[in-house]
Amino acid sequence: MTAESPAIKLSGIVVVADRVDDLRALARDYWAALSATKRPFELVFVVDGHRSDAATVLQAVRTEDLLPVKIVQLSRAFGEATALMCGVDQALGETIVTLPAYYQVEPTEIPELIEKAAGHDLLIVRREPRRGGKFERFRRRVFHRILEAITGYRYRDLGCHVRVLNKTVLTELRLYGDQHRFLPVLARHAGFSILEIGAHQSELDDFRSRYRVREYLHRLLDIFTIFFLVRFTKKPLRFFGMIGSIIGIVGGVILAVLVFERMFLDQPLADRPALLLSSLLVVLGLQLFSLGLLGELIIFTHARAIKEYKIAEIIGPEDSNQN
Amino acid sequence: MRSQYDLSVVVPFLNEEESIGPMFDAIIHAVEPLECRFEVIFVDDGSSDRTLQIARQMAANDQRLRVISFRRNYGQTPAMAAGIDHARGRVIVTMDGDLQNDPRDIGSLLDKIDEGYDLVVGWRQNRQDKLISRKIPSMIANRLIGKVTGVPIKDNGCSLKAYRADMIQNVPLYAEMHRFIPAMASIAGPRIAEIKVRHHARSFGNSKYGLSRIYKVLLDLLTVKTLAGFFSRPSLWFTLLSVPFTILGLLLALVTTVDFVVTGSFPIPLAGTGLLFITLSIFLFFNGVLGELVYDTGDTRNEDFASVSLARQSAHDDTSPTKEALQR
Repeated sequence: MTAESPAIKLSGIVVVADRVDDLRALARDYWAALSATKRPFELVFVVDGHRSDAATVLQAVRTEDLLPVKIVQLSRAFGEATALMCGVDQALGETIVTLPAYYQVEPTEIPELIEKAAGHDLLIVRREPRRGGKFERFRRRVFHRILEAITGYRYRDLGCHVRVLNKTVLTELRLYGDQHRFLPVLARHAGFSILEIGAHQSELDDFRSRYRVREYLHRLLDIFTIFFLVRFTKKPLRFFGMIGSIIGIVGGVILAVLVFERMFLDQPLADRPALLLSSLLVVLGLQLFSLGLLGELIIFTHARAIKEYKIAEIIGPEDSNQN
Repeated sequence: MRSQYDLSVVVPFLNEEESIGPMFDAIIHAVEPLECRFEVIFVDDGSSDRTLQIARQMAANDQRLRVISFRRNYGQTPAMAAGIDHARGRVIVTMDGDLQNDPRDIGSLLDKIDEGYDLVVGWRQNRQDKLISRKIPSMIANRLIGKVTGVPIKDNGCSLKAYRADMIQNVPLYAEMHRFIPAMASIAGPRIAEIKVRHHARSFGNSKYGLSRIYKVLLDLLTVKTLAGFFSRPSLWFTLLSVPFTILGLLLALVTTVDFVVTGSFPIPLAGTGLLFITLSIFLFFNGVLGELVYDTGDTRNEDFASVSLARQSAHDDTSPTKEALQR
């Protein structure tokens, strides 16, 4: 059996979390797709939390369909990014294909995607032609446009979780929280080479999301997180300081006007609510500012552990005398 | 730690395919007569043109050249930092890759280091840059940086600098600190000298690192001031920040109390403002406490810099470290 051979090159990782389609059919399709690459491979299912149904179905895949998929059962729901990292820790292959536990891309196209990924650190997929109503399309456009404004790169389908990548991308980035959703942005930030290509959307891909409001909040939070991670991680004072000084200056100007009126126009100062408002703004601005300074202190005292740059290669005489 | 070389010349490059060859020749031409064991480190800051290919070829032909290439463009400070981290010389000289600095000045920088200085800063004479967009802003910036940080360097923007390796390699450099390297290095308490160096107009290409927005410099300046002066005792810094607000708050509280006792009226906005200021000073104080925790868990410690000055003293006790290194 290919999957049991020692030199596994390719690892497919499926994180089973909130959204799950028919796992058994999915496992068969993915298995067929990975087999078609003619490379020694494995298929790992990471079950995030206790989903007894998922575990039974996957056991059935092993015993009844006789497909030796690996099953990693997490002790509780840790979130998709953590589940993915657990899968990566188990994976033996150098090339990793992350696959959603639901249909997004036609599984038959996956072998071709893996071929095309050669020479790049990360291959991301955009589903095209993409189904969805006018409003749905508009919503996606807005999201990706905002992303482009922040990161300077145009992504067309960040929500597609079919990705082919070198294992080093994930071991280096160590995703957490919701970071799997914008993995391409983080990978680009770390200097990995990225290729985006199109693939047909699966007939079974159901784009409608059930929790509308929650979805929007998630996206908004995503954008904010990306904004902070990409722009300001190493210079927190620029972020906090800018917001803090704008608020503080507004407060300071109002305060100055009040004091001016008190001194020269004989307006009483003590019983004006505007005094309270302006000093509140000054205080808030300063608090944000001091948080920024604290952030700078964190970066500075940990500067050695978090090297900012990533070296691609060093050319020239080796260190003959390691110091 | 024994250094393999006497001198490492670190040059960051960003899209300088025309300059990189002449630059290397000029460095070799300038440094060879000094008769020291040296290496040249080119840091390719994610160039998109042929800079890296050319550098690769040059490194294959000359063992004295090492090339560090970045995965993407990270900026001037990380490029300098990478070069400094990988330098194996006893003395490190950094310079720009655009031929605006003159490698012939390296000799005089080294002379100053031999006199016992730890950091020698170049001061560009007859700057060949535009007056309005570059010279005047940089003049103001230099004044301000000198005043605030207490390290009066006349030309912070000059990349041509020489460092004792054991001093600078302990100083964390990141983000856009390249404008403030002398001030950051002052954490380690170096003896700093400033000497006049030549400056040439750009012969190829355009200036890659333009004038940044003022607010960035101002905020970075505040950062450097905070870090250089107070990184090991954050609670002191935050307490100092809170002092004016404590005084103001207590004063306002006193005024309103007196007002209440004497006239019986109680001006709520004024009392509220006083309370707010007192709240702020308490908040700042506890920020300082958090800062102590950060310092405590961090890996950059004050002792690192203290041990540097110890190393410096022992280096001066040996009459000639160069000679000793040669005997090995």
